[in-house]
Amino acid sequence: MENKNNYWKGIEELNKDPQFLQHKRNEFAEGIPLDDVFSEEDGGLNANRRDFLKYFGFGISAVALAACNKTPIKNAIPYIVKPENITPGIPNYYASTCNACAANCSILVKTREGRPIKIEGNNDSPVFKGAVCATGQGALLGLYDNDRFHAPQIAGAESTWEAIDAEIKNALSSAANIRLVTKTTNSPSGKKAIAEFTAKYPSTKHIQFEAFSLGSIAESNQIAFGKNVIPGYRFDLAKVIVSFGADFLGTWISPTEYTKQWSSNRTPEKKGMSRHIQFESHLSLTGSNADVRYPIKPSSEGVYLISLYNKVAALAGAPSLGNMPTVELPLNMIEITAKELWAAKGASLVVSGSNNLDHQLLVNAINSLLNNIGSTVDLDNYSNQHFSNDAAFETLVSDLNSGSVDTVIFWDVNPVYAYYNSTKLVEGIKKAKTTISSNSSLDETSELCKYHVPANHFLESWNDNEPKAGYFALTQPTISPVFNTRQMEESLLRWADNNTAYYDYIRSNWKGVLSNEAGFEDAWIKSLHDGFYMLPAKTATAAKANLDLSSTVNTAYSLYTASKTNLEVRLYSKVGVRDGSHANNPWLQELPDPISKVTWDNYANISKATADSIGVKDGDLIHISSKAGKIESIPVLVQPGQPNNTIAIAVGYGRTSGGRVAKNVGKNVYQLAAFMNKSVQFSNASITIEKAEGNYELAQTQTHHTIEGRALIKEASLNEYLKDAKAGNHDHHAILKENGNLLTLWGEHDSKGHKWTMAVDLNKCTGCGACVVACNAENNVPVVGRAEVLKRREMHWIRIDRYYRFRNKENNNISKEKEYNNPETGVDFENVSVVHQPLMCQHCGHAPCETVCPVLATVHSSEGLNHMAYNRCVGTRYCANNCPYKVRRFNWFKYRENDQFDFNFNNDLGRMVINPDVTVRSRGVMEKCSFCVQRIQAGKLTAKLENRTIKDGDVKTACQQTCPADAIVFGDIHDPESNVAKHFQNERGFFLLDEYNVQPSVTYLTKIRNVDENLVAEEHHAAKHKNEATQESHQHSESKS
Amino acid sequence: MSYESPIRDQLVTGGKTYRDVTRDVTRPLENAPSKSWWIGFSISTLVLALWIGATTYTVFVGLGAWGLNKTVGWAFDITNFVFWVGIGHAGTLISAVLLLFRQKWRMSINRSAEAMTIFAVICAASFILSHMGRPWVAYWPIPLPNAFGTLWVNFNSPLVWDVFAISTYFSVSLVFWYIGLIPDIATVRDRAVSKARKFWYGFFAMGWNGSTKTWHRYEVISLILAGISTPLVLSVHSIVSMDFATSLVPGWHTTIFPPYFVAGAIFSGFGMVLTLLIIAREVMNYKDYITEAHLDAMTKIVMVTGTMVGMAYITEFFVAAYSGVEYEQYAFLNRAFGPYWWAYWTMMTCNLVAPQVFWFKWARTTPWFIFIMSIIVNIGMWFERFVIIVTSLHRDFLPSSWAMYTPTITEVSILIGSFGLFFFLYFLFCKFLPTINMAEVKSIIPTHHEDHGHNHVKGENHAN
Repeated sequence: MENKNNYWKGIEELNKDPQFLQHKRNEFAEGIPLDDVFSEEDGGLNANRRDFLKYFGFGISAVALAACNKTPIKNAIPYIVKPENITPGIPNYYASTCNACAANCSILVKTREGRPIKIEGNNDSPVFKGAVCATGQGALLGLYDNDRFHAPQIAGAESTWEAIDAEIKNALSSAANIRLVTKTTNSPSGKKAIAEFTAKYPSTKHIQFEAFSLGSIAESNQIAFGKNVIPGYRFDLAKVIVSFGADFLGTWISPTEYTKQWSSNRTPEKKGMSRHIQFESHLSLTGSNADVRYPIKPSSEGVYLISLYNKVAALAGAPSLGNMPTVELPLNMIEITAKELWAAKGASLVVSGSNNLDHQLLVNAINSLLNNIGSTVDLDNYSNQHFSNDAAFETLVSDLNSGSVDTVIFWDVNPVYAYYNSTKLVEGIKKAKTTISSNSSLDETSELCKYHVPANHFLESWNDNEPKAGYFALTQPTISPVFNTRQMEESLLRWADNNTAYYDYIRSNWKGVLSNEAGFEDAWIKSLHDGFYMLPAKTATAAKANLDLSSTVNTAYSLYTASKTNLEVRLYSKVGVRDGSHANNPWLQELPDPISKVTWDNYANISKATADSIGVKDGDLIHISSKAGKIESIPVLVQPGQPNNTIAIAVGYGRTSGGRVAKNVGKNVYQLAAFMNKSVQFSNASITIEKAEGNYELAQTQTHHTIEGRALIKEASLNEYLKDAKAGNHDHHAILKENGNLLTLWGEHDSKGHKWTMAVDLNKCTGCGACVVACNAENNVPVVGRAEVLKRREMHWIRIDRYYRFRNKENNNISKEKEYNNPETGVDFENVSVVHQPLMCQHCGHAPCETVCPVLATVHSSEGLNHMAYNRCVGTRYCANNCPYKVRRFNWFKYRENDQFDFNFNNDLGRMVINPDVTVRSRGVMEKCSFCVQRIQAGKLTAKLENRTIKDGDVKTACQQTCPADAIVFGDIHDPESNVAKHFQNERGFFLLDEYNVQPSVTYLTKIRNVDENLVAEEHHAAKHKNEATQESHQHSESKS
Repeated sequence: MSYESPIRDQLVTGGKTYRDVTRDVTRPLENAPSKSWWIGFSISTLVLALWIGATTYTVFVGLGAWGLNKTVGWAFDITNFVFWVGIGHAGTLISAVLLLFRQKWRMSINRSAEAMTIFAVICAASFILSHMGRPWVAYWPIPLPNAFGTLWVNFNSPLVWDVFAISTYFSVSLVFWYIGLIPDIATVRDRAVSKARKFWYGFFAMGWNGSTKTWHRYEVISLILAGISTPLVLSVHSIVSMDFATSLVPGWHTTIFPPYFVAGAIFSGFGMVLTLLIIAREVMNYKDYITEAHLDAMTKIVMVTGTMVGMAYITEFFVAAYSGVEYEQYAFLNRAFGPYWWAYWTMMTCNLVAPQVFWFKWARTTPWFIFIMSIIVNIGMWFERFVIIVTSLHRDFLPSSWAMYTPTITEVSILIGSFGLFFFLYFLFCKFLPTINMAEVKSIIPTHHEDHGHNHVKGENHAN
């Protein structure tokens, strides 16, 4: 063979160098040191036949096993050219502005590989201070909504922008009267675009329409102070807050901003914890957090306000508002309220959520008497967060019907759904010649429109809102438009023959404002980077309202007397879905209502006494008839705290179109609103109800509403707290003292590096639910739908437990079902104390879940975390059974790519919201809060790259980041300077189920209510049966203090 | 030499001879199945199909097919598991403990009881598998060397103890039962006429030749296995009870559980033995072998264990009250007066009150009545597990998470279906294996043929 070889590798081969030939036989130039690796001493490979067979056998079986598992191949296309600033795996944050409502909070948008995956608060914003509400958190999912228009449409057929623009321009130029209906418009550039459009088509009139209108507030300020604005309220400066139905922590005007302000005064450690008094007609989120709450009927609000005015006026030495005949209301509380307000004059605040101009004028007058204008009511640094001209819209409806308006443009408004007299509006729209809608999906209004010019989602848009005077919040796109959509501002400009891109348009508007020509680029980039541009705040000037309000007395009195015993209805808007514009968002639909804990529905809140008198109970159906028509078969929820004879129903439900999720959830109750005194009133005193056939179960995430006398919530009054910082928390401190003697079976975990812990201040937590939605977005928590929530299978990793406490005839606390259901106890269901307690995995040091898992799928980390290895979980659910906090969630089904759960995880677009740092869990495994371990890892990595140790605040969990109340603090307890370590030292701190010594990593701080009554004494009473040692130490520490 | 006093009641009546015994016991094996067998077997197969259908559906769809929720993580699944494991205990008690105590009356019932044990454990094991979220990785709780890195099982977890307890129990019971079967299988082999029968029975008879040496070994191994099985009677259900006792769920976290569960297991096991034997003695005409004396003895055990269980129920209340732990106290009040009160009182009535009728001789010796009672006992014991599991879980520490549990059709189908699985196996057993231990029964029939029993008796002595 060798003879045939005509080519040689070298001269050596030709010469048949024996050494070369020797080498040539080997496949590799140098031998593989197999013998060294598997040496004899290690019982190695070359030992003997037996070992060979052993390894051989293992190898064959391993290969066979590996070959068994055929994983489907999924192709991912990598970047061929790496885009600038995008590094796979590294998130980019863009400062922007939330447009989920007109509050326009400043946000940061987290994007991964070009996809926005999370909205965070912008901590640099001096107005919003880094908070986002539940709706804002959920707005992210709106971007990936498959039900949005995919392209412009003419009469239902997809079209091109060129074609539609030509047709619309043609139509507009021949239009007799054009009306542009928008939501609150507070963008200077947007307004300029509207002005340009109006200049081109001079018949245009711009009408701002808000579904849940508060237009009277600005109007009342116009009348009282000559400024058509909503004042900048300063809840942080107010020592006494009196709210008449204004849900300012939940849904009213700018809830995150107000919550930040409010919660800054809810720290009992600091002097001057505010006192919050709420008068309201349904149990709102705000009311549930008030120190004192008075349930009142909507029709009596005017009478209460007049009484309050008169009492304050008496104290101020001002004349009272004429003589109001005696009313049978418990007005002594008004007297007390007036005294408190007067004592804090200049630092008190009265607000009203009513859209009745009289009420708002009275509120202005009271604030004026109290010298609050210029301090807590700031008319110079005012708010642009809500404009609604109800009267103008009313005129539009009649003009449409009369035919005088032939062209109407709806810009992201849905009045056909939300206007109280929808039928008339529909008739009017049908008469119009040209109807244009920019609504993002085929909703009730756009269904009637010929031209659909779908606008971008705000995460795809440029904009410059001015939510507060002098505070310009910039919006920048974080993704190129998902569908063939165009910003409405740009559409208006096109139709006005201005072909500038809206981005350039905004920039040109800002030229000369931000800085001079030379420095503009830098100033613009800085503003974009910050997310806002702010003019120096003006000094608030004091003002006096000189109003003659004597005419309000008769109106208020007749309203009150006319409906003294009537059944009334009160409409409110819910946290989450709000006015209904977010109804197609499954995260928000599945967010439990902060009070009722109902998901996926609205319902008639009825007080116990009223329900008994009508003869209905939870889940019964009723029909509600008003002049406008009949609302059929709405389910009843017997709601503690609900005033008698008042039915409260949330708006925002009962959408008939607008997407797969939105459709047919709840009932539309906007028709119960009424136009009165130049504005739409969201209450109705002339209704009748009748019982309906059938039953409808509401999907609540919590079905037992009291703590059964258990020491799960600790509370004390401010006075008690000031005397003794441990008030209400003595059993915790007794246990701490005892803890050395408590035997435990388990060894301590090594805890040398970090130990991640969390503190939750029950005094600050309002229960708003922002954390729940933030957690859903961060941790890819699946939506399960109403039917599964009914089966108590919601997947939320963080929940907010809400408990009621009642008082009986003797003013004793009642929290046991047995007692409050006993009619003899005489519980006053109208008056209820509410507490909110967020519950996430407590990351116990001696976790009950860890010991019972047969496969070690849940284990303790060296940093104090309780890890969950999804891939190891076999799904015995023993851990969930043994978790005393019930925070573990099981994947009962496959929640993605499953038509049974047709939510965002069931389509490719919806799945774009998935956070790639968090595993999407498979069917049959357990999951739970991880303390956002991916954020901890990212924080550690950043610190390491920057060659430093991790600082307090580097790692923020998703719930903490978004919390508008700053109720959640997270950090390393081994860092003595950390905020969380200080919270653990706080005397208010306690662990949930302290006595079980599971060593949770979450400490709760007692709730301190600014009330006169003693709360701790009651607790002693309740804890009477506790063991004697605890009692003794109680008395011991009490005698010391 | 064993000596039976002539004044003692005879254990086998009807003046049976050895030949009669062999003929009676092998009759069902050697003849075409009776009509009643066919009816029973067909129904069982249908119900088994229900079990297969419902279980398959669950595995395909997910555990969401059941009524469990975030609060109640176990319900029908583990109730059924504990129920079936408990059923098995009577078999082991009869065959092992009574063997050690030289209770010769056990000889005519131990075979069926042991078979029942094995089938019950199979049913129980099916629930271990189906209750898992990912049953395809059900082998992970077994400490197998694996290629997953350092993954191992958690020896702190009672579920791992369960794995050992159940697998040990199953293998020991199976071996014990099989060893006991060998002489009888040999008898069937020797009587076989067809080639196939000869081959198969011969295969399973393992070359049994009836020599003194084989009999001797048989006796020895029986005693050894009885010795191994006896602690299992106590340990298996103790460990099952630790699934609950070592947790901190109020109502589970109780030191009384191990003995209480063992008593309950024997109670329910005898209930099931009675159900089966009363049917067997009617259908297969074994009244001479399974006499009223057997029923009398077993009902006495039922009464004693039932009362023990009842005492445990009451003790739990006392301990809860005495402990001062409010969660514990609430858990027990909630059992009796909460939303699942009906389950609790069903359990109390069936387990504590009902067996007290066995103080009366008539009740202990009237087969139809005992049959009804045995069903009641099993209903009660099923509810005991349901009460322990569901009523403890559904309202534990935080009232916010309190929830109700309602089973779905799938779960009910699996429960009913598991009886199908059990009876399917049992009917096959009746058809193919001797349901009465012929070899042992021959040693206790009253006979003048002293010589015939001689070898056997001698062997037994020798073993001592």
